[in-house]
Amino acid sequence: MSFFHHKVVVIVALTTVTTIFTSCFKEEPLNAECDIEKAWVHVDDLDASFYNANDTLINVLSNEDKIVFTMRDDADVTAFAPQFTITPGATISPASGSAHDFSNDPVTYTVTSQDGKWSRTYTVSCNRMARYTTSVIDFDFEHFELDKDYHKFYVWHNTLPDGTLGDDWATGNYGFYIANRNSAPNDYPTFVLDNGYDGHGVQFVTRYAGSLGAGMGKPIAAGNLFLGKFNIISAILQPLKATEFGIPFTQKPVKFSGYYQYSPSSPFTDKNMKEHPDRIDAGDIYSVLYINHDRNGNPLVLYGDNILTSENIVAVARVNNVNETNGQWVPFDIEYEYKKEINPDMLANRGYNLTIVFSSSIDGASFEGAIGSTLKVDKVRLTCEEKE
Amino acid sequence: MPNDGGCQNLQNFFRNVEGYGRLGYSIGGTAPLGMPAEIRKLNKFILQPNVAFGADLIKPASKHWGVLAGIHFENKAMHIDATVKNYHMQVTQDGQSMEGVFTGNNDSHAVQWTFTVPIQAVYKFNDKWKLKFGPYFSYLASCNFDGFAYDGYIRVNDPTGAKVLLGREENERGNYDFKDDIRKCQWGFGVGVDYFFTRKFGVYADFNWGLSGFFKSSFKTLDQTLYPIYATIGISYRFK
Repeated sequence: MSFFHHKVVVIVALTTVTTIFTSCFKEEPLNAECDIEKAWVHVDDLDASFYNANDTLINVLSNEDKIVFTMRDDADVTAFAPQFTITPGATISPASGSAHDFSNDPVTYTVTSQDGKWSRTYTVSCNRMARYTTSVIDFDFEHFELDKDYHKFYVWHNTLPDGTLGDDWATGNYGFYIANRNSAPNDYPTFVLDNGYDGHGVQFVTRYAGSLGAGMGKPIAAGNLFLGKFNIISAILQPLKATEFGIPFTQKPVKFSGYYQYSPSSPFTDKNMKEHPDRIDAGDIYSVLYINHDRNGNPLVLYGDNILTSENIVAVARVNNVNETNGQWVPFDIEYEYKKEINPDMLANRGYNLTIVFSSSIDGASFEGAIGSTLKVDKVRLTCEEKE
Repeated sequence: MPNDGGCQNLQNFFRNVEGYGRLGYSIGGTAPLGMPAEIRKLNKFILQPNVAFGADLIKPASKHWGVLAGIHFENKAMHIDATVKNYHMQVTQDGQSMEGVFTGNNDSHAVQWTFTVPIQAVYKFNDKWKLKFGPYFSYLASCNFDGFAYDGYIRVNDPTGAKVLLGREENERGNYDFKDDIRKCQWGFGVGVDYFFTRKFGVYADFNWGLSGFFKSSFKTLDQTLYPIYATIGISYRFK
């Protein structure tokens, strides 16, 4: 009897301990991501289709789903065969490298993850580069909408020469969304100004980035808007690299003008939220033209850390002292200061990038500024040299 | 029943009760039951100052069986570093939240100073060996759970969302602190073995498996419920 007791107790004990130790590592899950990371095309006669070799390869950002190849007016795209680098293990349909007729509509591609649970659709198009026929390009900020993924923050569209809307304006709003998703659209750093100088304008307010942002040494988010791309992949690790300034531009800019209002807030704080009573916040409004490739012809983009200092800069127009305007619209009208000669061939072949930048805190990229500082901008004009 | 009769009963009850003091060291972790496939690799497991001390009383009920009740004060701390893939997290702070799927490394540090009351059945094989099993109830006098996700990337919301890289430095990683979400009152099940090599001195090994989730049920950051699972070894002294 006693032996029986012993045996039962030992079995129960052993079973319990064995059950506990079955928590071991399982097989690696299949990849769940389904991105197009790169799109490129190989053409036998580059000059017949593209303005330059860099336009044949597109690095696709993780939050983008439109891929646009910019091509010459007379390029034949009836059997255009783009190739794609996608997430390892994912599949793409139609196949990478398959030829399609891109002459009328974009072609839609679907990428499905290795685990089969996720998919993303991308549209790929071949656009003829439209050229402005006038020497003055208007930026009136009348075309905006809430972001298509989350409907939380505003995005702006520029008007292209053919009257269609472009995606060339970028903001850091997406970065703010990561840690402040519950904010209303008008509580983001960059939002629509209903009563602008003329129709709608853009309003920029330096915001507190929330305790999640502050915990990452990024306590404030200045409102910004710029021609270029916001590459969210760097938003935490290298925030200055998240602002990829500039879009290819084929005219020679001469003058940068528009209207603004500014109101600095206080206290002025640094990235540790330490107050600096001696400093007063200021806004920033500027435009830069730069050479968009290095000496070997490789693509080159200017970021938050070199947009005003790079050797590749050709011309700058910057509004000096964006300070308190006491609620009045103040006009600005700045001539581009050229540091280098323009090469007309390179200009025609998309060898220069242009950016326009607005920020509610001049040192916002370093997370220095005053929460509440407000910049308003409207009716921006870019005057370019008349073509002969 | 007369008063002195009750007192007599109490004295009779305690006459054959045995008393033990314990001093031990715990090793273990606060972990999901059944390792999710998203956790790929344990990079580091750093031993913590997990001392445990306390006293138990055993009331024999028959030749082999008895009942144990005690009070222990112990630390169940953990510091691990693991590699994860597609690990879903949602962090809420000050009304704002951040949700995403993380692939990379995670460093977690937990501290739990607890008062624990075990109530166990005891099976005595002989004077040397005893087996104990039964529930325990804990109150966390002091606790913490913090850490950071680093050297990896988050996909915002789900695997199709924007990709954001995280680095290793303080301002490049995803720091978290879930101290306020820890359940203060916990319970679980324990099994243990006592071996006495003299009449007074012995060694023991206990295994305590938390059955109440480590975090409050309102805590949604992690998909898996975490349970404190710890083993303790130590020396025991019979004082009665």
